[in-house]
Amino acid sequence: MSAGLAFKISHLQAMLLFALVISVAFGFLARRRPVDRVKYIVWSLFLFLLIGVGIGWAMYPFSR
Amino acid sequence: MAEQTTVARPQDSRRETLAVIVAVAGWLVPGLGHALLKMWGRALTCFVTVGVLVIVGAGMRGNLFRSTGNDAFDSLGYLADLGTGTFYLAAKSLEADGADVSHAGGDYGTRFLATAGVLNLLVALHAYEAARGRKA
Repeated sequence: MSAGLAFKISHLQAMLLFALVISVAFGFLARRRPVDRVKYIVWSLFLFLLIGVGIGWAMYPFSR
Repeated sequence: MAEQTTVARPQDSRRETLAVIVAVAGWLVPGLGHALLKMWGRALTCFVTVGVLVIVGAGMRGNLFRSTGNDAFDSLGYLADLGTGTFYLAAKSLEADGADVSHAGGDYGTRFLATAGVLNLLVALHAYEAARGRKA
């Protein structure tokens, strides 16, 4: 019997979680005012997802 | 032409020592550096974000690099993982079954763990700069 953790998440879920966690950390480190932090987090998250999905589609023609 | 001389004041030296202590504390326990500076929001956020990355990375059975690496990439991975401070030991104990990078999830887990380490180093550096009064 295994005692370790076991997570099974999809590629999209992994990307979303990664983008969200890093955006929140960057937002809190880079800005002081709550409103600025929220703006930074939303913008950073949007760019993470846009670039992630964009790179995914850019690699699609070479995937097989 | 007048020469400019800079004389180190005692409080500068004290502040520098304090900044190094804050940085080391921030590296050992994510967020502790900011907590020592009474930046509670940042401290909590750093602790939670680095912790989530480590838990999910270990849960996805990512590769937690050891000091006995075979090549430069293993050594770099070890340095990145070591950036999580004491969370490195936590990840080790969470990954009781060892790494499994035979599937994509394990590979993502490796990235999560390395990112947690690098993020924590960035956080510790931020705390160091804040303690020196450069930015906050």
